[in-house]
Amino acid sequence: MMLRGFSIREELLNNLRAAYARMWVRLRGANRDPISLVAEIGLPILTIGAYVVLYRAIGFPSTASSAVIVGGAMVAFWTNVLWNMSSQWFWEREQGNLEMYLVAPVSRMSILLGMALGGGLNTAIRALGIVLLGIFVFQVPFQLRDPLLVGVIFVLTLVALYALGMLFASLFMLYGREAWNTANLLQEPVYFLSGAYFPGFYVPIVPGAIQVAGSLIPMTIGLDAIRRLAIGGGDIASVWLHIVALIACTLILFPIARRALNYMESLGKKEGRLTLRWQ
Amino acid sequence: MAVADFVKSAGESFRVGWKIESNWTDPVLFATYQVIRPLASLLIVSFIVIIGASVGASANSAFYTRYLAWLIVGNAFYAFVLQIMLGMAILVHVDRTRYEVLKNIYISPGTLHPYVIGRGLVSVVNGAVSVILTLLFSVAIFNGLLHMNIPLNLLNVNLLMLIPAVILGIIGLLAIGYMLCAVNIVSNRMEFILGDSVSGTFFLLGGVIFPITSLPSQIQLISNVLPITFFLNAIRESFGITSMVTGDYMSNLTFLALTTLVALALGIGVFRLAEQRAKKLGLFDRKSEY
Repeated sequence: MMLRGFSIREELLNNLRAAYARMWVRLRGANRDPISLVAEIGLPILTIGAYVVLYRAIGFPSTASSAVIVGGAMVAFWTNVLWNMSSQWFWEREQGNLEMYLVAPVSRMSILLGMALGGGLNTAIRALGIVLLGIFVFQVPFQLRDPLLVGVIFVLTLVALYALGMLFASLFMLYGREAWNTANLLQEPVYFLSGAYFPGFYVPIVPGAIQVAGSLIPMTIGLDAIRRLAIGGGDIASVWLHIVALIACTLILFPIARRALNYMESLGKKEGRLTLRWQ
Repeated sequence: MAVADFVKSAGESFRVGWKIESNWTDPVLFATYQVIRPLASLLIVSFIVIIGASVGASANSAFYTRYLAWLIVGNAFYAFVLQIMLGMAILVHVDRTRYEVLKNIYISPGTLHPYVIGRGLVSVVNGAVSVILTLLFSVAIFNGLLHMNIPLNLLNVNLLMLIPAVILGIIGLLAIGYMLCAVNIVSNRMEFILGDSVSGTFFLLGGVIFPITSLPSQIQLISNVLPITFFLNAIRESFGITSMVTGDYMSNLTFLALTTLVALALGIGVFRLAEQRAKKLGLFDRKSEY
């Protein structure tokens, strides 16, 4: 919908400004506290460390530990999608910001885009820290032949993952305490279904049904592709299907997120739940 | 404060806490939410062991079934750690910033102590629901569905060994949770970090998914002063799991009692210090949303 009195260019600029502003708040807010930054890099290492020790105790090759470090870094993105995208409208409503977004002359999607860009950048910094710290602490091998391709897969994964985050944000929009509990609920099951802590996911021992369910999460596809390239020393031939799947995920999830957001907003208006706090 | 008043206040706090935690949905969905997270954690580590067994990473199949039994019990009871640490770490923030009632609770005759204990007990009940359902589902999945013959019989649990270990373990964990509340009273930046830090440290060092003997010897020294290590050892022995468990039941229970006592003394001491400091600096009604 185009606002009266604005040209397409002006409207686009307005929305880009809104996205930039929301991204800036996210970047500034998340990086102003060094304790949080250190904790967000250090904490995943505790879990990753436990799995690395388990792999070593069972006698897996060291590449399995490399896989768990990449998985642990990608988990940071999932956590960010859950807590800082999916539940974000809930936090905003609790703090009284949601009504301001709703009366602003911009698309709600631009606010979500800003959140996603800020969250993605923030988490990328932390994920890099996790990988570097993991390599340093656990001394695991990597076989990176094509860093550019890894970068492309990584960006495609994030785009698809944050498109899923936008969809969740829309669906969670009217949640009260359910938002908190549902975000909690979606952590470990997705760690399991994405194979984040497994040495490999698309292997015969993992049941087909679990592989299919896991493939509905973009992180699973991206993670497998990154592992093939960065640990298995693969090339484009081993990940082209992943690239197609990630692009397809984005193309499917983004319009659904937009429709879901419009629907939930209109439902919230009808039921008077958009400004409801302390549910 | 009389004991009866303390118990009454703690009971009221429990009632409020239970409603906040559970009345957002129906009981079946609530129980489902409580079990899915620990069950998924268990499935992650179990699949790692199963993948290990399938590629013949080490040892024989008997080793893996014993390991799975060891893993299931440890992972199921780790739910107490998760629930208590995460629940108590966020408590002060939620009541001070979100509901803005911490100051009212503080100035009420009941004081904060029974309130924190009551709310901690809600986490204990949540943990207990998770533990029971996780154990039942584990046996149903691994023995019933996958026919793995894991040597774990829930009907053969020695309750005389299990109950003291669970009680002591829960007191120890509540005492640590008490410390987390204390830290959050005087800080407004740690609420989302503390619970994960402590539960993550216990996950790595407490012998949850691998025996602590797999850790470097210097790090084992830390494991050996954590109540969780002895808690899980004693629990596993009450389930008849003795392989990969260091020490006998009585020694584990004794060390659990000692470490719990130390945690309790520290918890009460730290909480009192935090309370005094918060009163002095006016921190009970500090808003910290950002």
